[in-house]
Amino acid sequence: MTTCKSCGKENQDHYKFCLGCGGELARPASVGATPSPVATGPSAMEIARTVLPPAPVTATGELQAEANRLAPKPKGGIPWGDSPKMPPVMANFQLPPNPLAGGTGAGMRIPTSPTGTPALEPVAQPPAAAPLGGTACPTCGKPIQPGFAFCGSCGTRLAKAPSGAAAPLGVQKTMYGAGLAPAPAPVAAPRGRLVLIRPDGTEGGTHPLHDGETLIGRGQGALFEADAYLSPRHAEFTAASNGLTVRDLRSLNGVFLKIGTDEALESGDIFRLGQELLRFEVISAPQPLEDGTEIMGTPNPGFWGRLSVIVGRDVDGSAFPLFGDAIVLGRERGDILFPEDGYVSGTHARISLVEGQVILSDLGSSNGTFLRLRHERTIPNGSFILMGQQLFRVEFR
Amino acid sequence: MPGKTCPHCGTEVPADNRFCGSCGGKVDAGPAAPAGGPPVAKTMFFGANQVPGRAKLTVIKGEGTDGVTYQLNGTDHVAGRTEGAILFPDDPLLSPRHANFIYKNAKLHVVDEGSVNGVFMRIKAPTLLISGALFLIGEQLLEVEPSPPDLGPQPDAEGTFFYASPKRPSKMKLIQRLRGGEIGMIYRSRAEMISIGREGNDVNFLDDPFISGRHAQITMNADGQVTLTDLGSKNGTFVRITDEAPLNHGDYVFLGQQLLRVEVT
Repeated sequence: MTTCKSCGKENQDHYKFCLGCGGELARPASVGATPSPVATGPSAMEIARTVLPPAPVTATGELQAEANRLAPKPKGGIPWGDSPKMPPVMANFQLPPNPLAGGTGAGMRIPTSPTGTPALEPVAQPPAAAPLGGTACPTCGKPIQPGFAFCGSCGTRLAKAPSGAAAPLGVQKTMYGAGLAPAPAPVAAPRGRLVLIRPDGTEGGTHPLHDGETLIGRGQGALFEADAYLSPRHAEFTAASNGLTVRDLRSLNGVFLKIGTDEALESGDIFRLGQELLRFEVISAPQPLEDGTEIMGTPNPGFWGRLSVIVGRDVDGSAFPLFGDAIVLGRERGDILFPEDGYVSGTHARISLVEGQVILSDLGSSNGTFLRLRHERTIPNGSFILMGQQLFRVEFR
Repeated sequence: MPGKTCPHCGTEVPADNRFCGSCGGKVDAGPAAPAGGPPVAKTMFFGANQVPGRAKLTVIKGEGTDGVTYQLNGTDHVAGRTEGAILFPDDPLLSPRHANFIYKNAKLHVVDEGSVNGVFMRIKAPTLLISGALFLIGEQLLEVEPSPPDLGPQPDAEGTFFYASPKRPSKMKLIQRLRGGEIGMIYRSRAEMISIGREGNDVNFLDDPFISGRHAQITMNADGQVTLTDLGSKNGTFVRITDEAPLNHGDYVFLGQQLLRVEVT
């Protein structure tokens, strides 16, 4: 926690500005510009959280300004140089050492695409994005300093162009694609794509979804390389003429779909509200044991469900009973409040009991309510999907 | 065949038997059992009733009204739903054989006979709660769980980090256990103290008529030890015992839904 010197409000460590008064928060003293070549777990966590704030912001509503403030801004040519917590951009790809999988580090590099197709689809870029004599990032289109091996804006590793960093934009893109598929065969136009939605609401890179299956995971493309919250095999998208199906490949953190209005909940369902990871469970009627004894406890005053805050793997924090017809969740108003989560709207979502069915509803929140997929699901065009630390919009035809 | 009478239960048993076929009690194997067998048994029983300094249990039925009193004049006094001398057949929270009241070195003890729901004793002073100890405040069955040390983010075997809600350090959790075993609410405390009552506390049970305004508090010391203190509540605070506990005059014991007062004469 960082305490604001102006108003005294406690803020999350990665906040740059106070949620209470908007004042700039004091940062810890700089630890020096030289990063450890092997980042420690927590610092890598910091990186991941700072580069990609866990809660997506969809560029609308009350949190836009906050998101803009939180979004990393290039400064003085070295992105994030104003944040002492951030090692130089090269370190963005340093994941914590993993003693259980010695060679995993190599897996973090941009891999060849398993389908032999370029991992990145060319993105239409305004030519102005590339400064004279410089190059543009193939993922996000931001200009890149000569000599840089990574995009300072989005962190994409850049292919080494034989002609040096001064290669023109088009060549850079081609080289990048060619590096992944030495002899690219002409491929059919992708059926769809995942569009990265950056924390400030702008679009980042895209990832193509071809006919058939597309595997998404850490190491399966530049967009997914730096996300330590993605499993190596995280999700599979299956595109067909009758729709797009997404399947969670038993990933650690799951695949979350932004809900429309109402969504039926089952016991054990997990959803995200701002930064809060919550689990819904049904509270069932007491059953006597085999010898006729009943387990003692507080007489149930009418609780039909429970909402637990997940604070770690197999670790729950607070738990709130659900009772009555409906329970409203929010930051400021409602029955269950998350006053410290700036990504939760004042009134955000509702869990209601309707004719024995438990319904989760988003109440027009700025950032949405995301339900973890139980198995697989066919999703409509334009759906928002949360995987790892990143938010994507799904587009297909 | 000339029989004799069991001194324990009064059953007629064959003259050469050494043990009663009905109750298993030892029967005098003397060849000529006197006709005065039954009077002997009666005398012994009557004598047992007169042992001084023994205790009794009184069932508390409600405010100021006492129910049945059980004299604890033997060595074992089993309480349960279907087994023993102290029977509460209608209390589903009691195990068939729930507890035993015994004397050890002439001191009364209550022993939990491996019951599902345990034996609770009213605390008379601040009491150290061992990990996982359940306690009763009014109708609330509660438990305190000290928060484990935060190990920081730990990747799984594939090097993936687990996404969780933001870390908000807490000292301990107060867990409400519902009838049937489900968890109701969990209150996560950042402070070293949690006050419990009906209103104006950290945790309030507004609808529990058996809880006092300020009922009890939980404190954690620097070593992480948790102490439960009753704040002079009307109905008291009860802690589940582990295995067995000595009983003194004026102690209150909860077995299932039965509140018993201990009286040592």
